[in-house]
Amino acid sequence: MNICGYSPESINEGEGLRAAIFISGCKHYCPGCFSPKTWNFEYGEPFTLARQREIIRDIAGNPLLDGLTILGGDPFFSAREVSGFIDLLHLEAGPVPVWIYSGYTYEELSAASDSDEYALLGRCDVLVDGRYVEALRDPSLLYRGSSNQRLIDIKQSLEHGEAILWQSVFTK
Amino acid sequence: MSLMTKAIGKEDHILDEVIRLGDDIANSRDLELLRENANLNGESFSGKMSKFGSEYAKWYANHFIMPSQLVQAIQDNIVYVHDLDQYAIGTTNCIFIPFGKLLGQGFNTGNGSVRPPNSIMTAMALVAIIFQSQQNSQYGGVSANKLDHDLAPYAAKSFAKYFLKGLDYFEEQEPGMTAADLGEISMSRLDLQERYPRSFRYAMRETESETLQGAESLIHNLNTMSSRAGGQIPFTSINYGTCTSPEGRLVIDSILEATMKGLGSGETPIFPIQIFKCKKGVNQAPGEPNYDLFLKAAECSARRLYPNFANLDAPLNLAYYDPSDPDTEFATMGCRTRVLADRFGRNHLSGKGNLSFNTLNLVKLGIEHGVVLGRRSEADEAGFYRELDHYLNIAMEGLLHRFRIQSAQKAKASDFMMREGVWEGGEQLAPEDPVGELLKHGSLSIGFIGLAECMKAMYGKHHAEDEEVYQKAVRLIRYLRSFCDRQSEKLNLNVTLFATPAEGLSGKFTKRDRASYGSISGVTDREYYTNSFHVPVYYSVTAATKIKLEAPFHDLCNAGAISYIELNGNARANPAAFLKIIQYALDQQISYFSINHPIDRCSACGHEGIIGATCPSCGSHENEVHIRRLRRVTGYLTGDFQTRFNSAKQAEVRDRVKHTS
Repeated sequence: MNICGYSPESINEGEGLRAAIFISGCKHYCPGCFSPKTWNFEYGEPFTLARQREIIRDIAGNPLLDGLTILGGDPFFSAREVSGFIDLLHLEAGPVPVWIYSGYTYEELSAASDSDEYALLGRCDVLVDGRYVEALRDPSLLYRGSSNQRLIDIKQSLEHGEAILWQSVFTK
Repeated sequence: MSLMTKAIGKEDHILDEVIRLGDDIANSRDLELLRENANLNGESFSGKMSKFGSEYAKWYANHFIMPSQLVQAIQDNIVYVHDLDQYAIGTTNCIFIPFGKLLGQGFNTGNGSVRPPNSIMTAMALVAIIFQSQQNSQYGGVSANKLDHDLAPYAAKSFAKYFLKGLDYFEEQEPGMTAADLGEISMSRLDLQERYPRSFRYAMRETESETLQGAESLIHNLNTMSSRAGGQIPFTSINYGTCTSPEGRLVIDSILEATMKGLGSGETPIFPIQIFKCKKGVNQAPGEPNYDLFLKAAECSARRLYPNFANLDAPLNLAYYDPSDPDTEFATMGCRTRVLADRFGRNHLSGKGNLSFNTLNLVKLGIEHGVVLGRRSEADEAGFYRELDHYLNIAMEGLLHRFRIQSAQKAKASDFMMREGVWEGGEQLAPEDPVGELLKHGSLSIGFIGLAECMKAMYGKHHAEDEEVYQKAVRLIRYLRSFCDRQSEKLNLNVTLFATPAEGLSGKFTKRDRASYGSISGVTDREYYTNSFHVPVYYSVTAATKIKLEAPFHDLCNAGAISYIELNGNARANPAAFLKIIQYALDQQISYFSINHPIDRCSACGHEGIIGATCPSCGSHENEVHIRRLRRVTGYLTGDFQTRFNSAKQAEVRDRVKHTS
């Protein structure tokens, strides 16, 4: 698995100050995608164990972070490896809240409870879901590109068996 | 004969200088000269007129007024005398205005007298008038250190007026009752609310709406008034955040609300610079009386870059804090100036200010004594400190020399300031009396620039790159501070250390050092030197690290300092991150803090946020429509950094590394 971007601190990919990792590779090929380069699974640098540990050290050592955001590409095409990384993160840095982006919808990802995608979903806290639809593009949306995309509270949704939207502590 | 020729030759030379100065200004030939100050349009008629005065006044001070060793130190490119154009005439720098006193007693602008206001609307209008009247007495900033406390009584007056009206309208008054029977009417009178609910509610709503209107008009006024010969907007600052009475809270809330609404077409106001005063127990945690206003301030700052945040709990500020006297709460002149302590006992803010400051070019001393030129393998610290002492003494002598000129000025020269007692005690002076005895309550400050480049020149690494170098950097700034403390004792004056807000200065030392030494990587290869003790804007560190590295310097710089974090992204969409960073900085005992984030505005559709080459909202390209790009410089905002910043500051903005990239 390759990563094609890493921001140690970002305010653009989820609430609060978050580390952001971009996983290479996507097969949705949404027209108007802001970064088609990231469709290629070979793009970027190999996500070696050493690099993983380096990033985990960054996260553990930064008192300002609210969590980690994983995006891409689409991390769910590398679900098993991404799950492995999150396990390592939680092992070494404790409970770090994870946001994750996908072109799949929550319903697609949660359909089969024995799938790698479902397992990855369960390791995360908030899902930004759905393909990017250029006709629905809206630059005023929070943390996403088109209005079909949703911010989903994963824990609540899994518990209730349906997609439940995430709510910001600031707008609650 | 030969003597004569020589003399004529000298005069010719002087004449050449005088003519060239005028030519450059009249023909806008020297843009750097005209853009020295981002809030003065130096290419306008009035801007040029004031430049004529200013440049000739500097020239005169250089040739005929300043001590020769100070002139030499300036020529050596190690000492910089700020606002040199004001040196010869003895103007002082800045002040915290006692608005409470001026509003409470009324005042005279010189052209007519003004009665104390009877409503919050009028009080806010008078605030603008007082700012404008005062700023002509000085050359630097004018600041309100506790505007919420100062204005609260007038919100109460408005409330009382509406309440009495309400009693009449709603026929709630009891038979035979007079206004006097009600006692002092205020928003905190819950008994009145219970007995006369309709009048109370009516008075509340009217007062809220009037206060908001007053705040809007205040902000509009302070962005539109011209002064100082029409070329400049007054450098106004307002500090607030700690007044917990319902009236004071309304004032704070209204100012924040009006700021978020923006100016006429919704654009971000440039003035006044706003500072929210943070104090544990008052507004820092859920359950504290003004916590909601702190949250609103963070939201406002994420939208508008203001307010900045002052830390009343930082040890150097807490030392003078008296909860019963808001005049002892740390506040700033906006750019960062701090004047809290006074060895003559006026340990409060209003009624005094900074008198003047001289800044040291640490970089050149570093180049001369460091390893960077390859002359030596180890830094010559003894030589460095020896020469530093030499120039510190000259800078100090310069401050004293100027102080003597300032002290000798007659009260009538700073008419409004003295006659109205804006400078505490001034009202007791006769017009012809010298102001000297009063000025001793102000501060004389030694500033510095380029700690980062100095360390790089000395040791090959700057203070964010190496722990050992960092310790040496702290030692150097501590040394400067102890020099100031010793001078305070020796001279019996308030001498303080300043993390200089270098705007005009940011590129001046650099340009000349590069001419002397060439372009040295990490030292003179950029157009500017790094501000004060800051981690260089181009050096990549996390927000938390930058805050940790800079915090200890705040405690040393008792004349004031500011730290910034650069956020890359739409901060207004993410208040959680914003809030967390602010409180982390306060916890690390940063005295004055602010978060920079880009605010661009598309003139085609009014969209505000981050705009690249094309507007994300309407798709207009920057080549077709004007994109106004707002950035902070030295604590203040300026209209558009691309047209108003000097080239050094433009380069600095381009180089700023985002702590969230």
